[in-house]
Amino acid sequence: MAVPIALSLAGVGACVWSSGEIRQLGRVESKLAESSSKVYHHGWLHCKCFWQIERSKNLHLKSRYLLTCKAKGEDSFTQNANEDTDDMFDHLFDRYGKVVYRRNDKKTRSEEVDDDAESLSFAVAMAKVANEVKAGDIKVLFVKPLVYWTRFFIIATAFSRPQIDAIGSKIRDLAEKKYGKVPTGDSKPNSWTLLDFGDVVVHIFLPQQRAFYNLEEFYGNATQIELPFENQPPPFRG
Amino acid sequence: MIQPQSHLNVADNSGARELMCIRIIGASNRRYAHIGDVIVAVIKEAVPNTPLERSEVIRAVIVRTCKELKRENGMIIRYDDNAAVVIDQEGNPKGTRIFGAIARELRQLNFTKIVSLAPEVL
Repeated sequence: MAVPIALSLAGVGACVWSSGEIRQLGRVESKLAESSSKVYHHGWLHCKCFWQIERSKNLHLKSRYLLTCKAKGEDSFTQNANEDTDDMFDHLFDRYGKVVYRRNDKKTRSEEVDDDAESLSFAVAMAKVANEVKAGDIKVLFVKPLVYWTRFFIIATAFSRPQIDAIGSKIRDLAEKKYGKVPTGDSKPNSWTLLDFGDVVVHIFLPQQRAFYNLEEFYGNATQIELPFENQPPPFRG
Repeated sequence: MIQPQSHLNVADNSGARELMCIRIIGASNRRYAHIGDVIVAVIKEAVPNTPLERSEVIRAVIVRTCKELKRENGMIIRYDDNAAVVIDQEGNPKGTRIFGAIARELRQLNFTKIVSLAPEVL
């Protein structure tokens, strides 16, 4: 199976391109015209794919770019294509594609696991501190599979603004002293106070706001981490 | 490039539908606002029976612009529309969910709350 290539760029309209890509397209088009003898057409061309490797001249890196684009089709194939587009592209990539650029700062799997463990211990420590200041309904969610920008969410309820302040400042103190991390986010107590430690994001809500924003539902697919202090009986109060 | 009199879509479920920028918050004589800037806006169109009403003056954060957003690594992001998220004076979003893709620059600009409610972060 060869890669179907759309010759006319007029038909290619379904993608959102950054202007850089569009500038490159002009050159790709001319290249296509030159190398039209290498273009193959196949029976299922209704869904037009545009798959071309092009050498960029303007960029310093002289790296190669892979431009992929899917155009609108008119028949039922497109409906199927929507379902298994990923599979199709994966398959095409396996056969004809090659990795042209890889970020250097990508971590190995073992490093990732180490980082996860480190963030987990940090998150649990933060949750413990929140528990000490009597925050209610503390949840630690592992959101890394859902969002790329952080690993753990800590969601806690405080029952008044002074308590939010207390929880926030305690967490800040411990993070700075023990882990050397300084959070960004809200500096003043707020009805939804957010402390952003990078890999761990702490949300402290008033009960009303917690019900209003309902973050747990939004991140419902995230795995909840069991906390060590959860099953302990509350301390005896005389 | 949002300036006073620019109309923006609303990218949340606060109840507003369309905003018009009337002031950019920051410097005293700033001409244009970009992604992550706070503007004062007036609601031009609102969903009926919601807390927000037409002609109400609110604050909003710009989350999408037709003007390209450039990153240091050479990446350029350009959206199809200009869109903003309605916030209150404390910076909390008035809606509970954000619609559409937003840029990760908002996190650096201390709008992590908006980022955490968004379905997709570019």
